[in-house]
Amino acid sequence: MVLVLVIGDMHIPYRSDSIPPKFRKLLVPGKIQHILCTGNLCLRETHDYLKSISSDVHIVRGDFDLNTSYPEQKVVTVGQFKIGLIHGHQVVPWGDNDAIAAVRRQLDVDVMVSGHTHKLEAYEKDGKFYINPGSVTGAYSPMERNPVPAFILMDIQSSTLVTYVYSLPPDGEMEVKKIEFKKGDREE
Amino acid sequence: AVVSSGINAEYGGTNLERLSRLEGVTVERYEKQILPAVLKQLVNCKDSIAQEYLMDCIIQVFPDEFHLRTLENTFLDTCCQPQSQVNVRNIIISIIGRLSNFAQADPSNIPEDIKLFDIFSVKVTQIIQSRTEMPPEDILVLQSALIKLALNVYPAETGYVNQVLQNTLNIFQTEEGRAKGCSNELGKLLRVPVDHYQDILTVLELDAYPKLFSFLDLNTRKDLCVYIAEHIIETGTLIYSHDQVDLLLTMIECLVADAPDQPSNQIEDPEDFECEQALVGRLVHQMTSQVPDQQFLILNTCKKHLIAGGDKRIQFTLPSLIFRAIHLCRVYHDLREEDEKWEKKVTKILQYINSLLSALVKAEYWDLSLRLYLQASLVCDAMGISNAETVGYEFMSHAFAIYEEEVSDSKAQLIAISLIVATFERTINFSEENHEPLRSQCFRAGSKLLKKPDQCRAVSLCSHLYWSGKNREGAGEPLRNATKVLECLKKAVRISNQCMEPTVQVQLFVELLNKYIYFLGTGCEEVSESVLSQLVGKIHEDMPGLESGDITKQIVKHFETTLRFIESRHQLTF
Repeated sequence: MVLVLVIGDMHIPYRSDSIPPKFRKLLVPGKIQHILCTGNLCLRETHDYLKSISSDVHIVRGDFDLNTSYPEQKVVTVGQFKIGLIHGHQVVPWGDNDAIAAVRRQLDVDVMVSGHTHKLEAYEKDGKFYINPGSVTGAYSPMERNPVPAFILMDIQSSTLVTYVYSLPPDGEMEVKKIEFKKGDREE
Repeated sequence: AVVSSGINAEYGGTNLERLSRLEGVTVERYEKQILPAVLKQLVNCKDSIAQEYLMDCIIQVFPDEFHLRTLENTFLDTCCQPQSQVNVRNIIISIIGRLSNFAQADPSNIPEDIKLFDIFSVKVTQIIQSRTEMPPEDILVLQSALIKLALNVYPAETGYVNQVLQNTLNIFQTEEGRAKGCSNELGKLLRVPVDHYQDILTVLELDAYPKLFSFLDLNTRKDLCVYIAEHIIETGTLIYSHDQVDLLLTMIECLVADAPDQPSNQIEDPEDFECEQALVGRLVHQMTSQVPDQQFLILNTCKKHLIAGGDKRIQFTLPSLIFRAIHLCRVYHDLREEDEKWEKKVTKILQYINSLLSALVKAEYWDLSLRLYLQASLVCDAMGISNAETVGYEFMSHAFAIYEEEVSDSKAQLIAISLIVATFERTINFSEENHEPLRSQCFRAGSKLLKKPDQCRAVSLCSHLYWSGKNREGAGEPLRNATKVLECLKKAVRISNQCMEPTVQVQLFVELLNKYIYFLGTGCEEVSESVLSQLVGKIHEDMPGLESGDITKQIVKHFETTLRFIESRHQLTF
């Protein structure tokens, strides 16, 4: 069992003040092997927070990350899965699934992770898996004014990837949805 | 008789205990005989430890009702005597604590006519005033005990807490030097109301509270302000009126701006400073009202305070204000049917946003302000009114100006122009009169980038503007200008041809092939088979000549995946 936290678009302090306490309680050190962050932290303190949860943190640069050392995109291999990571403001039009699919093709990955829209998504298309962990703080985006705070946890075991989609709707009761994805030989 | 022989304190204490358990020890007897006798011995005893022990015994051993009865006139009066060497601090804290517990156990335990707080408040003030050598820590520990009494026994009386604070203030203000060295204890004292009233708004009502801040040294003051700010965020307290916001920001002034007692040569650790200012930026989100007009007042109050923070702070604090203002525009837009003045209000907010952006530009935060101008132009676009369109165009122009004049690093340039194009593509309400020049600007800027690959990518990105871009005249329908799309892509191919590096060239061709396919997939039938076949042919031609290596492998794989995709999605084989 390898746990991968997929998280991003915190926008602290510009659009939000903190990650919801209910989420922070879950994200304890020592349980998560890898973190894939879609970007827009925006400051060092959030990076430090992620480092406190896991020692293997991968961050790509969001449009409001002023840290130029974060790459524009990244490919991370976990077990049998090649995972692509990009913030998504570079992909035009924003939130367009075909445009994101083109990035997936270019990076040649099984799982494509992107953010920016703050729209929580996890879907399979043409035998590949697409994930958007939304905004963990529920921050404003021009495309989603009041998104539900969310993050995604992936459990990777050989050729199976189980995603747990955590969200915090306004009534305060945390929701968890489980979606399974099997890496097939089927190509587009 | 037993007590009057008491020189050995322990002996006295044991005897007191036995005494208290004797039958016939009534409160009258205690008041008239026992207590005075003990106190007389106490006052004459030189050993302060013994004194304290004895007083403690009296407190512990005799019932609370006895203490209540003798409190004002006998017990505290004795403590007040300046001649007595009794260490009053711990004794008073002990009796306050004891009676406080008694009162909390059952409020009816305290008779109506015994105003516990008033009694203690008056006597403690007397004691402090009469003992001029009492160190500030002792003063503050006593005041702290009083505050806790007020908070625990008279929770509704916020005035009591304020009274204690006011008394403390009076003592420090009127008597020179009494406050010297009190920072630590005072800092602790000031945390007590914050911890107790989970809601900072009650603390804001205590007018004596902030006035005590001036007696804290800068570091203690800052720590306290950080404590308060973090408390507000952690408890999720909302500051919902502009008056409260004003009070709060004035109170935590030393975080928000340079303090007058700040040493000018102090070098702050940049990481710590960033953390501290990010806290202020985060706090802004707690200053919010559900009433839009009130929220605007809050935004103005915040601006007044935060601008005073100066250039080094505004990069961390103003963006939060800008986003709250953006949010407010949207709220007014939502309520446009109900508020006939909504357009004027939105215009004012946009002016407000502009003023904050100007401040950031003046402080030369180029990357940040470019991005914020773009976000601001999106909200202008969402308003759908011509006033907002004008402002939105202004904002886009500012973004371009920063891009052209201040972004000098070529990598940063590509990133910036891509962001401008991507943002502009999302707008829907620019009239063609404004949309056209912006489209052209994007194209021109993209084609003027220094490096050919960057030019190619930027120009191909512009193709989207002509396809899915929308102007006001289209009334929600995308432009779908296939001719211009193909023109852009053709230009991009031409630029790729001019690239020196074969690997880069082929990489660009494959990317452009994908762009063509994207448009074909979204209904651009003008992407003909021959255009595709030509490009595919070129790639096939050039690929074998590429130097072997990882990058070439990736390009080859990309190409193959693309061809397979074209086959399965469009039933075209090359």
